[in-house]
Amino acid sequence: MRHADPDELAGLVLDRDGAPAELADHVATCDDCAALADALAVTLGLARTSVPLVAPPARVRQNVLDALVAERPAPVTAAPGQPTDTVTSLDTRRSRRVPWWTTLVAAAAALVLGVGLGALVNRDGAETPGEGTGQVLMAADLSALDRPEGRGTAEAVSTGSDDVLTIRVRASKVAGDGLREVWLINLDGKRMVSLGFLASGETGEFEVPARLMDEGYRIVDISDEPDDGDPTHSGVSLARGELA
Amino acid sequence: MTSVALPRARPDYGVGVTERAVPADGRHVVDAEATFHDRSDVLDLAHRLAAGDESCVAEIFDRWSALVHTYALRALGDEQDAEDVTQQVFIAAWISRHTFTPSETTFPAWLIGIARNKVADRRAERARDSRRVEAVSLVTGPEAAAEDGELVDALVVRQLVADLPDPRGAILRLAFWDDLTHAQIADELDLPLGTVKSHVRRGLAQIHARLEEVRDAAR
Repeated sequence: MRHADPDELAGLVLDRDGAPAELADHVATCDDCAALADALAVTLGLARTSVPLVAPPARVRQNVLDALVAERPAPVTAAPGQPTDTVTSLDTRRSRRVPWWTTLVAAAAALVLGVGLGALVNRDGAETPGEGTGQVLMAADLSALDRPEGRGTAEAVSTGSDDVLTIRVRASKVAGDGLREVWLINLDGKRMVSLGFLASGETGEFEVPARLMDEGYRIVDISDEPDDGDPTHSGVSLARGELA
Repeated sequence: MTSVALPRARPDYGVGVTERAVPADGRHVVDAEATFHDRSDVLDLAHRLAAGDESCVAEIFDRWSALVHTYALRALGDEQDAEDVTQQVFIAAWISRHTFTPSETTFPAWLIGIARNKVADRRAERARDSRRVEAVSLVTGPEAAAEDGELVDALVVRQLVADLPDPRGAILRLAFWDDLTHAQIADELDLPLGTVKSHVRRGLAQIHARLEEVRDAAR
């Protein structure tokens, strides 16, 4: 006999006595059909003993939708304590936008610098050079995006120069499948620059032009980055926090 | 901690959120909200998610949140944890939409995969929290993973049967959940006995095939 089709085997499982004798005979000698019949019997058992699904309370739905709104690119706002007259109009802001090539150059420079520093800093787990030195100008608590779970801290530290800042990242629980890349996302939610990788641990220091802070690049983001040569953000953020 | 008592009695069609009542007059209702069976609709949602259409998240939540929540509730035995996990799953789905390749069969499996990860995370958190040793011992035996698989299968089957379009859906619900005989169902729905038997047979084969798809996609 040819193999039985699933409908026939379902009929056998549902009503062994009512099934054609040749079908039962075939299943008794055919491992494939016997296995499918057994699997259908398991599914039937699951269907018969299953209990009703319980919907979550309405507040869970609302929380999810609220979180989506929070996930949207942050609007441009004056930082707390900042004089209100520094809030620029949309047009002014647009005219001050960093040309695309500047961003690329800055990103490339920061990348090279960041990797170099990362290698230097984390060798033998040695204390980060300059750790604890310099005045902390801004700080951020990093957290996971999908829950209020702490993922470390980031600081913008004065280097003694007005033009250069050090971004000091001390992350935690940011293990991912790929490389961990540190970014500064602009408050406008449209622009970002890469600072480099947390190459050998969960800490790193990155020197950046101080003007990036003034331009709104204040959201520290750590991404899980596949090693695929694509220079853009993978879209998978392990941690994020705003320097303030 | 005590585990949450879950209803084991015969389902009350009026209460289950994803389950629909069998019309009293046996009218055949075409269900436009089939979750697993209307494949093009699922594919459309998957594409919208991957494309970053925020408005699809509410629809995705409405379709799969009962499945995810029930899984979390039974896996963790705690209502608050189950709510947290459910919330995390749908936010995580949105955040990691870039990592997902739309396909009608993989979409529910992808959500279930996220849910299993979040449940595992929550168990790990409990394991780190010495104040809740008791809770850990309830849920993190070596059998936990295998039991999870069976639990997920049972819940997926529940949703598959609940979402099966009528008349097949109504027939299967009466046969599986109300323990009616095929003759009683034929009488109840005013259908020929042969039609009822054929629907139950094909319905079981169909449910099984869909379950296998979800299992394969989850691997």
